[in-house]
Formats: sequence, structure tokens, C-alpha cells
Amino acid sequence: MINLIKMNLYRMSRAVSTWVMAIVIAVFGFMQFGSLKMFLDDPFNLFDGSGSSSLGFKTLDGVQSVSTFLQNSNILLILAIFVVLFVNAEHKAGFDKNIIGITKNRWKQTLARWISAVIGMTCLILIGYAIMLGLCALFIDNFAFGAVAPMLKSLGLMYLGAVAFSAIFFFFTTLFNSSVGGVVASLIISLGILNLIEMLLDMLVKKFISNPKVLPTDIFYDSVYFSFNHESAGAKAIMIFVLISVAYIVLTVGGSMILQQRRDVK
Amino acid sequence: MEYLLETDNITKVYGSITAVDHVSIKLKQGEIYGLIGRNAAGKTTLLKMLAGLAHPTEGSFRIFGESEKKTAHMRDRIGVLIESPGLLLNLSAFENMKVKALMLGMNDDSFLNELLCEVGLEGVGKLPVKRFSMGMKQRLGIALSLVGHPDLLLLDEPINGLDPQGIVEIRDLILRLNSERNITILISSHILEELSKIATRYGIIHNGQLIDEFTHQELLQRCSERIEIRPSDATAAVTIIEKMGFKDYKVLDNSLIQIFERLDESGEIVLELAKNNIKTLGISVKNEALEDYYLSITGGARQR
Repeated sequence: MINLIKMNLYRMSRAVSTWVMAIVIAVFGFMQFGSLKMFLDDPFNLFDGSGSSSLGFKTLDGVQSVSTFLQNSNILLILAIFVVLFVNAEHKAGFDKNIIGITKNRWKQTLARWISAVIGMTCLILIGYAIMLGLCALFIDNFAFGAVAPMLKSLGLMYLGAVAFSAIFFFFTTLFNSSVGGVVASLIISLGILNLIEMLLDMLVKKFISNPKVLPTDIFYDSVYFSFNHESAGAKAIMIFVLISVAYIVLTVGGSMILQQRRDVK
Repeated sequence: MEYLLETDNITKVYGSITAVDHVSIKLKQGEIYGLIGRNAAGKTTLLKMLAGLAHPTEGSFRIFGESEKKTAHMRDRIGVLIESPGLLLNLSAFENMKVKALMLGMNDDSFLNELLCEVGLEGVGKLPVKRFSMGMKQRLGIALSLVGHPDLLLLDEPINGLDPQGIVEIRDLILRLNSERNITILISSHILEELSKIATRYGIIHNGQLIDEFTHQELLQRCSERIEIRPSDATAAVTIIEKMGFKDYKVLDNSLIQIFERLDESGEIVLELAKNNIKTLGISVKNEALEDYYLSITGGARQR
């Protein structure tokens, strides 16, 4: 397994797409800083007199920075593209023919690929977040880092959520054996199309069942992720969020492993 | 271990199409086995199953004397080049090989450079593979298959798309790998003429079925000049032919006799058969080209 991860990380470090995505996420971090600066410091007096910024807070701390950076559909789109390109590169080039037959348990290769994708994704998140946080600390007057523990809690939870999303994109890429599957899934989520479908399904469920215990929006991961209030969530809410995230990871990565094990290489 | 590779009625079915139909072949250590067949005959599917890229629907195979299920730890002893070489185009030749080497836990970069020299790619440096010619890509594909010191190479149409110079280079490389490293090679092609220059044994696959197997000597014999007689009674005719002192002959389908010596004595044979009340239904002196021979085998077979 270690060798497989080493191989994947080597391939990742040599891929042009990795470095392009690193630049994209660095730019994203810079842009997030720019929008925070505009809303919080309001240098052009755009929001003067309103009493508060349109973000809902007047000062920025570490916990809020996590929401701004990670609880954001744009970053999920960037991470999805990275995961999809990385995961599909071997198959697209036909390189998988050279290596898949070597290990009897092909699922190990799938697991190693996903672990490597998560390592790469983590590096990208750290690059973008560090740039945004650093610029905020330097240039935003109303920035106060605050206590470290709550920020780490929020960061950890939202990071887990991002990893669960990566597993979903990973699964669709493996399922369709193509970048298209993963990219379409990420676009549907980031453009809010899935959200509209979920609301429609909610309405349908409510029409036929009075007081339903579970609605589609409770099950789809984008609703779980984007509506999760990591700042004030209690132990039970955190537990449910963690369990759902882990369940998505297990199901999608496990599903990808089974697909890879059973499927012939074309 | 008598055979390095044995397949036992291996079969692959895709929906309603039987791509490989109960194929049984055996390869001895050090052999170059040429698998010949038209496009879509089942060559690639067979090689994919042996390479662990496709699951057999039926049948089994043994590699290195062990059943396929017990060879998990031996799979790195098989080098594979299936269809066109699968290469990461933005990476250099060395980096492509390094990817596979890391997977196998090999950290010896000098070995990779040696392999590049072996296939004649020592001067490519950091040039990305996307700028390689077809011949260079094929050679890199073979170099990739050699990472891990394989004992068995599965090469699927390695000369496809190559110019005459490239074909000669790949042929020489394959022969060198076989003679110098004692690597057993299973190589497929639809060009019998080309395989006849390297293979020691042949199998002809058609519509997924292995329809004939023969050695290099037998191939030469089958394509050599011969008298072909179709007598009314083949068994009795053989006795007469033996009495006449012929030793190098073959009986096909219990009706056709091929004689490979004293080719100018066809008249005497007919006369002797007639004396013994055996009619000669047909007689000719034949000399088939390799491709004609191949077509004569596959041309009359069942079409899918």
C-alpha cells in the first residue's frame, strides 16, 4: 500500500494539472481575501450606514475564516476538478494497463489512489487557506484570530466534509471511467442544481407524507454540508455530521473499490 | 515446472459475443509463442486475461506452475504491453518508468536508465513522451514492461503502426530479450510473416478459438514445396507410399497426403497407386507463402 501511495504521489507531483490547480487555489485564496476585505473594511463605503456587513459579521476571526474558505461551493468545484483529473489520468492515458494486473487485489490500488488524492487535496486546501488567512491577518483591520481550539474544530469538521465530497467525486469518476462523471457531479452541486432537485423532492415527499421524519435534503450530502453550522453546533449535531460524512466516504470509496476489483480494464 | 504458462479452456464472454472460446495453450520456459489471428479474433482479450486485466468467464490458467489464484505475489514477474503503449504523455520516459518502479518498491534509478539504453532510448532526456514517435513509444512500452525483471512478457501487436525500420528494431529487441535474459514471450500479431521471424511456436486463433498450433519447423514444412495427393483410400495409399520408400509425409483429415521429398516422382506415385487399384482423385505440387497458408487455415473457418 505504501508503494502504491508513493507511486501516486510521484505521478501527482509530476502532473501539470496539479500545479495548475495549486495556482488556481492560491488565486482563490487571494480572491476570498479580497471579498472579505471589501465587505469588512468597506474601503469604498459601499455598506456604510447599514450597521453590519452583508456577511453577517463585522469582525473576522479564525472560525469565520473557515466558513468563508471551506464552506463554499467554489472551492468544492476546484477540489473536484483536481480529484477528477488526478484519478482519471491513468485510465485516460492507458497507463493503468501497465500496473493494474500486477496486484491481485486491485481495490488496494483504488484505495491508494483515493488516499493520495486526499493528500493532494489537503495540500491544496492548506495553500489556499494559508494565503487567505495570511492576507487577512496582514491587511484586514477587523481581523482577530481568536481562540485556536474552536477554529481547529471548525477546520477539522469542514475538512472532513470536503474529504467526503472528494469521495463522491472520486466515485463518479470511477463509475463512469471518465472525467465527465466527476466534473458533471461537481458542477451540479456547485451550481446549485442539485439543491433545486432536492427542494423539489422535498415538496413531493411533503405532498404525500404529512410530517415526514426524513427529507431528501437531510440525505443529500450538499445539504448536510452547506447547512451545517460548525460554529454553534452541539455534540449531537457534530456527531450526526461526522457520521454522515464518514458514511458517504465509506460507501463511495468502498463502491469505487468494488467496481475496480470486478471490472475489466478496457 | 514443465510449463511457464498453461491455460485450460479459458473463455471470455461479453454479452452475446464469445471473444475467447475455450482456449488451451502451453508455453515452456524460454519459448517465443506467436499468437496469430485477424483483428477481433480474440488475441487481445486472451492476453488481457493472462495479464490480469480481464476476468475469465470460464476456465483457468496456471503461471509459473501455480494456479492463477495463488500467483498474487508473482504477478510482478509478468511484463505487459497490451495494444498501444499506455504512457503518461506529459512525463518523460524515465518518469513513466519511475512511476511503475515505485509501485514495485524499486528505488534503483540506474536500472531504469539501463533499460532505457537497452531499448535505445538513452538520449531522450526530459523530453515529454507526447513528443515521441510511434516507434519510440513502442520501445518505451517494452521498457516499461521490463521494469520488475519479468520472466514472462505478454506483447500484443508490438509492431503495429511501425515503419519497416521500427519493425526490425523491435524484432531485434524481442529476440535479444529472449536470448540474453531468457524471457519467455507470448506475442500476438495478425502478420504471420513477421512472427515467423521470431517465434518458436505458433497458435492460430480465429473467432475466439485456437484452431491450430505448430512449431517453427512445422510451419516451414507446411509452407515448403510438397506433393499433395487425394487418393480414394488414404490408408491403403500410405502403405504403398511407404513401400516406395517415402518417409517425410503427412496425412491430413484421413484423406489428403502431403509428401515433402522426391517432388519429381509424382507420376510414379500415381502409377503405383493405380497398380494397387487405388484411384488418385487429385494430385498437385504446392508451395504456399506464409500468408497464403494462414489464410487457408482461417479463411474457411466459421465467421462470427
